[in-house]
Amino acid sequence: MAVSVDPLVVGRVIGDVVDMFIPTVTMSVYYGSKHVTNGCDIKPSTAINPPKVSIDGHSDEFYTLVMTDPDAPSPSEPSMREWIHWIVSDIPGGTNPTQGKEILQYMGPRPPVGIHRYILVLFQQRGPLGPVQQPASRTNFNTRRFAEHLNLGLPVATVYFNAQKEPVSRRR
Amino acid sequence: MAMALAMTTDCASSRWSMASLKSALPPLASTASSIRYPCHRRRSSSKCPQLVRSFTGLSPVNPLHSLGSSVTQTLADLNSFEHNFTIIDNGFKVYAMRHGRRVPKLNRPPDQRRALLRCLTTQLLKYGRIKTTRARASAMRKYVDKMITLAKDGSLHKRRQALGFIYEKQIVHALFAEVQDRYGERNGGYTRIIRTLPRRGDNAPMAYIELV
Repeated sequence: MAVSVDPLVVGRVIGDVVDMFIPTVTMSVYYGSKHVTNGCDIKPSTAINPPKVSIDGHSDEFYTLVMTDPDAPSPSEPSMREWIHWIVSDIPGGTNPTQGKEILQYMGPRPPVGIHRYILVLFQQRGPLGPVQQPASRTNFNTRRFAEHLNLGLPVATVYFNAQKEPVSRRR
Repeated sequence: MAMALAMTTDCASSRWSMASLKSALPPLASTASSIRYPCHRRRSSSKCPQLVRSFTGLSPVNPLHSLGSSVTQTLADLNSFEHNFTIIDNGFKVYAMRHGRRVPKLNRPPDQRRALLRCLTTQLLKYGRIKTTRARASAMRKYVDKMITLAKDGSLHKRRQALGFIYEKQIVHALFAEVQDRYGERNGGYTRIIRTLPRRGDNAPMAYIELV
């Protein structure tokens, strides 16, 4: 039984990837025409290209967006938790990540086993960041450590979706 | 004797003395779980089939036995796959309605229901998170918890019991190997159910069930 109704707590996003925070900025994520809500299902074939993310906020505020998968390679054994898919920094408020600096190129979801959660976390920057070093490898990423390293504080918005490997032949 | 049925013999209020009755009868065969009664007979004669199974052909069925001696006993339900899965049911009051019956039937006869739950727990232990209907997800919680409890015990007997339930043996061995690290401190509640949007084809309420 869920003691909280917040979908981020129920889906254990808060806990596995980020800490409890108060959302201050609204972020809407669209893959094609599909609006991403917490816990919705997105097919990997629709997510090969980066989503359209619209962030509202002050245009002189800068934001950093991170997309990770805490269930790599499989939700029952997440030995590679987390797998980082996308990092964009210096996004001016009120725009989208194309206006920011892409630190790590977008990689679409490719879950090999099971149903994975893909989490998009938005942080507010204190000021414009300088050049950010790319993480050495995509595996064993830690969002909390990354935020601490760049002094980003708690996230301001988070959304997550589920994806699983599509069957080769279309069923039904 | 009769331990396979896991009866609790605190039937002090029964009209017959069970101990003397049982000692007088021929020794019972083990729980013949292969006897299947069609579902439409169960409601009308839920007491008689239970005892018929225990006396498998060695003594004639005496309806007096079933009427008087089962007031405070707990018998294995047709849904118990093995004797350590006994269900405490409604205390032998047979209602015309479903009052107090807590076993989920999942719209299937008992053998298919058993196979479905075995399959679902195997898949959950294999993939870590699966998406099914809400009724199936809440029905399978019990069996997943049982499997993890067997793995936490870790003895050979428990391993063989798990092998008899889960369809793939690699999963059993992997479970027994890693359960101490993952669930060593946790007491129960090894799964989580997250409700999600209904299925498009039939509007069935769906849920994710995952290992905590």
